Amino acid sequence: MSESKKPESSKEYLAGLASNVPSSSRRDFLKKGVKFSTGLAAAAVTGGSLATNNLPPNIPSWTKSLGTGVVSTPYGVPSKFEANTIRRTVEWLTAEKISSISMSPIQELKGIITPNGLVFERYHAGAITVNPEEHRLMIHGLVDNPLIFTMDDLMRFPSESVINFLECPANGGMEWRGPQMEALQFTHGMISCCEWTGVKLSTLLEEVGVQTKGKWILAEGADGAGMSRSIPMDKALDDALIVYAQNGEMLRPEQGYPVRLFNPGWEGNTSVKWLRRLEIGDKPWHHREETSKYTDLMPDGRSRRFSYEQEANSVITSPCPENPWGQKGSYEIEGLAWSGRGKIKHVDVSIDGGVTWRPARLKGLVLSKALTRFSLPFKWDGSPLLLQSRSVDDTGYVQPTLTQLRDIRGTNSIYHKNSIHTWQLQSNGKIKNVQLK
Amino acid sequence: MFSLNKLFPVFALVAISFLPVAALAADTGHYGIGTTATAKEIAGWDIDVRPDGKGLPKGEGSVAQGEPMYEAKCASCHGSFGEGEDRWPPLAGGEGSLTEDRPEKTVGSYWPYASTLWDYINRAMPFTAPQSLTPHEVYAISAYVLYLNDLVEDDFVLTQSNLASVKMPNVDNFYIDNRPDTNNKRCMKDCKDPSKIVIIKSLSGITPDQNEDSAEAAAEKPKLSESAIAGKATYTTSCLVCHGSGVAGAPTLDDKESWNKRLEQGVDTVVKHAIKGFMGESGMMPPKGGNLSLSDQQVKDAVQYMLEAQ
Repeated sequence: MSESKKPESSKEYLAGLASNVPSSSRRDFLKKGVKFSTGLAAAAVTGGSLATNNLPPNIPSWTKSLGTGVVSTPYGVPSKFEANTIRRTVEWLTAEKISSISMSPIQELKGIITPNGLVFERYHAGAITVNPEEHRLMIHGLVDNPLIFTMDDLMRFPSESVINFLECPANGGMEWRGPQMEALQFTHGMISCCEWTGVKLSTLLEEVGVQTKGKWILAEGADGAGMSRSIPMDKALDDALIVYAQNGEMLRPEQGYPVRLFNPGWEGNTSVKWLRRLEIGDKPWHHREETSKYTDLMPDGRSRRFSYEQEANSVITSPCPENPWGQKGSYEIEGLAWSGRGKIKHVDVSIDGGVTWRPARLKGLVLSKALTRFSLPFKWDGSPLLLQSRSVDDTGYVQPTLTQLRDIRGTNSIYHKNSIHTWQLQSNGKIKNVQLK
Repeated sequence: MFSLNKLFPVFALVAISFLPVAALAADTGHYGIGTTATAKEIAGWDIDVRPDGKGLPKGEGSVAQGEPMYEAKCASCHGSFGEGEDRWPPLAGGEGSLTEDRPEKTVGSYWPYASTLWDYINRAMPFTAPQSLTPHEVYAISAYVLYLNDLVEDDFVLTQSNLASVKMPNVDNFYIDNRPDTNNKRCMKDCKDPSKIVIIKSLSGITPDQNEDSAEAAAEKPKLSESAIAGKATYTTSCLVCHGSGVAGAPTLDDKESWNKRLEQGVDTVVKHAIKGFMGESGMMPPKGGNLSLSDQQVKDAVQYMLEAQ
C-alpha cells in the first residue's frame, strides 16, 4: 500500500460518482469544482495539499480573531462546512415533489437521534401550513362523549416522551429486483429516529369513553390528501401517541405541525400527520392507502393487508458508498439496527458475504423500536470484502437474507424489504452496492 | 312541612349532580378537557365511507354524466381511458396481471372495494383541488371510472344505495398480514458455500447526483417581480403538478421555445387562457388548472411567475 494514498474524502467520492451521472449534472459539478478550488475546499477537490497557514506550528486565523456574538443566528444552523448533510430525493420515483419522498442522510448522522431538519419527508399532497390556533382534533363515532380538542387542550393532558424510529415501509423498496442505488441515503434513508412528545391516545380515548363495539379507529389528516388509515384498537390502547413535539421543539411542518398520530414500530404512513379527526368504528374502512397502496402483492397474485409492523432490519453506515475507506489499517465498522417489534438483541457482522459472522457491540442507548448503533473494530488488510450486518430482535426474529425474502414474497411487494444488505468493499477502499445470489 | 317538601328535592338534586362527577374524575381518569362536538360539527368533517356504504351522502351520478367531468378534471393526469399520463397512476386495465412480472395495479385489477374509489375521489381529488367536488360529481366520476374498467354498463347510475353492491373482481384476494414469514437462523460459521456466491452489481447511472449546492444556484437567479413572487405559492400548489412534469402537453418552466410560441399572442391572452381554459394543438389547459377556488389575480400572478422563473 502506497504511503501517499489518503482516505478518500466525501468530495472525492462525489467526483467519482459524477462520472456516472448525465452530462449536464457533470458539467455543474465540474463548474462547482472550479469554484471550490479558489476556496477552502480546494484540497478536497483537487486532492492536493491544504493551505498550511492554519496548521501546526502556525496559529490558526480563527484563534487570532473574534467570532460572532450571541443570537447572531437566533435559531442556530449547522456549520457551513456541513452543507452536504441534507435530505435528498430520487426524482424519477414520483411524478412530482408534492406527492413524494425524501431520504435522511443517515450516512452522515451520529448516535441514534435524527436532527429535526433532516427527518425524511413523505407527503401525499404537500406539507401544509396549519395555524395551530385554528386547528382542531375531533374524536367521535362509537363513543359516549364526542369531543373537540384545541392544541391548548391537548397540551393540558399529562405528556409522555418516547424515542422511536419512524420508517416508510417502502424503505429499500427500490432494490427488490436488484441493486440500483450507489448510496446509503437512497438504499436506506427513509428512516429517522426522534424523541416524540405528546399525549397517549389511550388517555384521549378514556376521555371520550369508547363503547364496547369500538374496535377500529380511523385516523384522518387535515392535508389535501385527507390521509386516512384504519388503526386497530389494540394498538391505540398500547403505545400510540398523539404527538405535538419532536426532539424538544414543536413538530416541524414536514412532520405534521401542529399534531400527528404516532404508532411506534409501525409503517410510517399509519402515523397520520396534521391529524384532525379520529373516528371510532366497529370495522376497518379499507381506504385507498390501505388497499391500493401499503398492501403487499405476493407472487400468487394475492395481497397482504394491514401489514403494519416494520420487521428487524440493519445496515452498515460506515463504510458505505458515501463513506469509503482509504489505506489499510484500523477502522470501525459501524451501523444502525432497528425493529418495530421491540429491542435489538444482537447484531452480527460478516466480511465474507455471510459465510462466517461475528457479533458486533451495541453501543449507546438500546431502546425498544428505536435506532440502535452497532460497532465492530476491524483491521483491514486491503483485501476486497463482502460486508453484511444481520440483526436479531428480542422476539428472536432474525433479519432474513434477500433470497429468503424473495422466495416468499417475489419481487413485486414494494413494501417491507428488510433483508440483509451487502456492501462490496474493493481493494481501493471504495464501496459498491451489490446483492448476493 | 310544606317548605321542607319543596326544599328537599332541590337539595337532593344538588347532591346527585355533584357526587357522580367527582366519582368519575377519580375512577376513570377523566380530565374534563375538550368541548363536546356537536352533530353539526361532526357532520361537516365526517366524510369517510366504508365498504358497506356507511358514510355515503344522498345522491347519484351516471356514467354519461361522469364522462365530461372526468375529461375536464381527471383525464389530464389519468388519461382519457384511465391509462395514466407520465408517472400519474393508471386507473384502468391490468386485469389478470397481478401474477405477471410487471403487475398493473388499477382500480379494476386491484382495488377490493368500490367504496374506496368514492371515498378517495371525495377526499383527495382532483389533485390540485382536493375536497372541491359535490356528491353528485363524485358519484358520476366514480361511475365513469367503474365503466372505464368494464365493471358497469354505459347506462349505469351509481347511487347511495347501490354502491356497496358493486363487486370488485379482486375483493377476495386480500388477507391479513401473516408475518413473520421468514425463519432465518443466527448461524455464525460455515453458513453457506463461499464458492457458490454470485455477486449482482447495480445499474450504473441512475443514482442521483449528490453534489447539491442549491443555495448557490438560487442566488444566481434574477430577482422576480412582485406579481411573480405572489404567484409562486399558487404555482407550487396548483400549477407545478402539470407544468413541472409537462403532463397533458403543459409547457415546463425550462421549455423556453413553447413559452415563446405562446407569448406571440401576448401575455394577456396567455393569462386569459389560463383563467378560462384552452384547448391547443399540443396540450389542454383546464380553467385555472382545475382549481376553480383560485382568484383571477392568483392565476395571473402564477403565470407571471412561470414566465419570469424560466
